[in-house]
Amino acid sequence: MKTEKADVPTPTTFEPRITAFVCNWCTYAGADLAGTSRLQYAPNLRIIKLPCTGRIDPLFVLKAFENGADAVLVSGCHPGDCHYTSGNYHARRRWTLFRKLLALTGIGDDRLFFSWVSAAEGQKFADLVNDVTAKVRKAGPFQAAHPGRKA
Amino acid sequence: MMKALRQEAAKLLQEKRAALIIGFAEREGHPALFISKPEDCERLFYDVSCRQNLAAYLSKPEVSARRPVAIVASLAALRSLVVLTAESQAAPGQVLALAVDKDAFLGTFDVAGAAELLRSKYPDLGPEKALLERVGELSKKSVVERAAFWAEEFAKCTRCYACRAACPGCYCARCIVEKNAPQWVSTAALGHGNYSWNIMRAFHQSGRCTLCGACEAACPQGLPLMVLNAALDREALEEFGARPGYDPEGKPVIGSWSAEDDHSYMR
Repeated sequence: MKTEKADVPTPTTFEPRITAFVCNWCTYAGADLAGTSRLQYAPNLRIIKLPCTGRIDPLFVLKAFENGADAVLVSGCHPGDCHYTSGNYHARRRWTLFRKLLALTGIGDDRLFFSWVSAAEGQKFADLVNDVTAKVRKAGPFQAAHPGRKA
Repeated sequence: MMKALRQEAAKLLQEKRAALIIGFAEREGHPALFISKPEDCERLFYDVSCRQNLAAYLSKPEVSARRPVAIVASLAALRSLVVLTAESQAAPGQVLALAVDKDAFLGTFDVAGAAELLRSKYPDLGPEKALLERVGELSKKSVVERAAFWAEEFAKCTRCYACRAACPGCYCARCIVEKNAPQWVSTAALGHGNYSWNIMRAFHQSGRCTLCGACEAACPQGLPLMVLNAALDREALEEFGARPGYDPEGKPVIGSWSAEDDHSYMR
């Protein structure tokens, strides 16, 4: 089989590692739809599926950065669509404050992304991943000197 | 002022409205004083250098076994009392406050009375101006500079958890840092563990912190913890209108929600 050399990243090109925390009912199904629809998107995402965005403890995000993520994406059901009625509303309040705290301590909005993607939005998911990957690629590797990074 | 405070405390014990008074001692550092005899009330002391928030003792089993309890409470400690009541951590009718403000004794209040006093006389308690200026200055820096600032500060942390012990809001019987299966927060007093700990400590107080400053005063390493607390306080006020410590029946900011909450940052 012929391999396309241009697709193989050389060690000098930076390929961001992005951790995504997604909910089981909307965004994960959206990602699945993107896959079954054969939509191609950036391979930089590592998806971690959870029952609900309400289950995503802010510590998960810190852990991801600690262990080498260049960016984190959190995604769940649109407001009003939560499988558990209000999990995403609870999560939204938490993230509104948490992102400000992280921004103040050196993790800006070019590292931490939030979105609503429903089970029907395969195209939105693919576009989102491409867009986030492009942004993080531009931002470069997460600073090794950040206090939240494992030495 | 001190005379009025001592007399009132002695009266509460004599009339058995309180079985235990928690106040400040006069000696250096103004440690907490636990009094159960009216004649000992002469030892009570208060001035602005008494930085401890005595509401932190209310959740201790040794104290809750000796209710009704009265605490010497600054305005911030009064707010803490209201927050603890709203979170079902202080039984109404079991706690009284000997309210003090700078060099004035304001009287004895139960929780409802304390909330009423705060609402009527002190409706906008918030971070001091100098503190907000520090937050503003830090926010103007680049993310890399902010990271460098906190890397230097958090590096000093020895993880003694004095900040946690001093805080009335930190009453969990088992804190996340003591959970080790899985180990959420590294226990080594180094970079990422210190970052996680300090971020989570501040975040768990968001929308609940009464800005008493006891955590920062207790920190043996002088970490600017109030910068984080003040920033979150302003954020919670702006986004959700949060004024913790004014309503004993109020809902916590994190733990409640509204369909109208802003989500302009969501993609």
